Amino acid sequence: MLFKIAIKNLFGAKLRTALNVFVTSISFFLVIFVSGMYDGMREHAKNVTIETEVAGGTYWHPEYDSMDPRTFEDSHSTIPTKIKKLINQKQAFAVLVSQASIYPNGRIMPVILKGVTPDQNIVDMPTNVLTEHSNITIPVLIGNGMAKNANLEVGDSFTIRWLDADRTYDADEGTIVHIMETENFKLDLGHIWIPLSKAQSMLAMENQATYVTYAKELPMIKDSGDWIHHDINYMIRGMEALIKADEPGAQIMYSILLALAAMGIFNAQVLSIFRRGREIGTLMALGMTRSRVVGLFTLEGGLNAFLAGIIALVLFGPVLYFFSTNGIPLPMDYTEMGMLVAKRLMPVYSVGLIVSTTILISIIVLAVSYMPSRKITKMRPTDALRGKAVT
Amino acid sequence: MENKSVINIKNLVKRFPVGGDYFTALQQIDLELTEGEFIGLVGPSGSGKTTLLNIIGGLDSATEGNVSVLGHSMDNTSHNERAKIRRKHMGFIFQSYNLLPVYTVFENVELPLILNNIDPVEREKKVTQAIEWVGLNEKRNSRPADMSGGECQRTAIARAIVHEPSLLLADEPTANLDAENSHNIMNILSKLNSEISTSFVFATHDEKIMGYLRRIIHLDDGKIINDEKISKPKSG
Repeated sequence: MLFKIAIKNLFGAKLRTALNVFVTSISFFLVIFVSGMYDGMREHAKNVTIETEVAGGTYWHPEYDSMDPRTFEDSHSTIPTKIKKLINQKQAFAVLVSQASIYPNGRIMPVILKGVTPDQNIVDMPTNVLTEHSNITIPVLIGNGMAKNANLEVGDSFTIRWLDADRTYDADEGTIVHIMETENFKLDLGHIWIPLSKAQSMLAMENQATYVTYAKELPMIKDSGDWIHHDINYMIRGMEALIKADEPGAQIMYSILLALAAMGIFNAQVLSIFRRGREIGTLMALGMTRSRVVGLFTLEGGLNAFLAGIIALVLFGPVLYFFSTNGIPLPMDYTEMGMLVAKRLMPVYSVGLIVSTTILISIIVLAVSYMPSRKITKMRPTDALRGKAVT
Repeated sequence: MENKSVINIKNLVKRFPVGGDYFTALQQIDLELTEGEFIGLVGPSGSGKTTLLNIIGGLDSATEGNVSVLGHSMDNTSHNERAKIRRKHMGFIFQSYNLLPVYTVFENVELPLILNNIDPVEREKKVTQAIEWVGLNEKRNSRPADMSGGECQRTAIARAIVHEPSLLLADEPTANLDAENSHNIMNILSKLNSEISTSFVFATHDEKIMGYLRRIIHLDDGKIINDEKISKPKSG
């Protein structure tokens, strides 16, 4: 009986229903859209780290600690045979790491010098630009953030000074052959990339490397000598920790969005229910019990949320799909600020996000339908019939 | 044969809190109404007629005294029980019609039957009959916003009688209508009273409808000052 009346009320009040449903569906859309962007940002940061830096995992020289530059001096040795075999099969590439200084435009800048196998295609880095430069003493690849910081352009030359394996300082001229666009600031800021063979000869570390990165989905080698295997989970642990640390923030943001949505829904629902005080009084005069009146209005709220879900799916589903496949261009480059944020943000609309948002907004709609109708039914029927204002 | 008692009120007092004090709206009211009566509670504004009507309808409760309606003591009944009595045995007509604006005439009239869980086939039959009684066949799919005041009040009458209640309470049913519509409405109600056994109670101060009443209870300042039987009322 209540369902029949609720359906009649909902479809009878065309404009009122349309407005309530539209407000609720916009709330669905905004909460999912903004939370999806936030999730996308975090997911993207992880994916960029994997695609441009980590691939399937790495083997590190036992002395190497990527977070401690003081270890770089001693963290190099001949690559263990089994790992070397992977490199020969083009399933891995080696990197030799050292501290160095560069002198662009007369300034001194400490940098991390990395020699990399130029013809690798394990990670998404344009290292192949380091080949075919026989006329350049040291071809150098840098990121656009580094280029801006050091005021360097393609073709610019500068002095590079380093300490070799014999503890002798040496210097030579490097020339920028390419400036890469990368979203991973860890490859960019303070880094210069040169061919591995050149780095080995400069540092007097022939056939040596600091770490080896291997392709995705390759199994771990059992005998990697004294080199230490770090799988993909270990390599992105920092990123995962950042995401985890950011979870309270994400939850707060989600709560704020929900609260804003709730306020919009509350306004629309409460206004429409308080305007119907006389209708509630009439229903009570006709013999509807208080609990049934409350049930009717709460059910109307539930149907409103259901319709809003359908409208959100039909109207805003394609919009969400478009952004999730094409991304959203960001107005500025956050890489320069040391933030791993995409230039084109790909939102992630997970099933969990959609289901939890739908459930929470439905609960909000039910609550804001229940509360005012309960308040009106607490009035004397004679006051409700007169349309007396609810206080 | 003695007529069945429909309303029995003894020593009714109703007080409303006003500020820190009380306003006495009704005092020492004794009233008995039998089956099929067609009576009016008449008096100036503030005389207590609407309050008395609301107490009879269970929409409000007495401060003191006993009120028995259709054999149910209204003093000791819960909200739900009073709602059930209204749903099953009472019909209401309001001054401002109180039709649900999003419903058609048919749907407005159908509502009490839905609340009483009458099956759809029976509902259709009863609603059609009620709409015919009030002469709104051609307007059955219209909404209140598209109808005149007289048509809206006729819809409200159809809604009040569709479930054939034992008691029909009308609060100023003609106050918003012109003379012609007022007489039409009273003719319909008077005719219904003669055809069905429903008792009618009007709260009114409209001179136009007095002539239709068969008993007039004059109220002033919350007290019954006269209970007058009319020997030759107008008839529908």
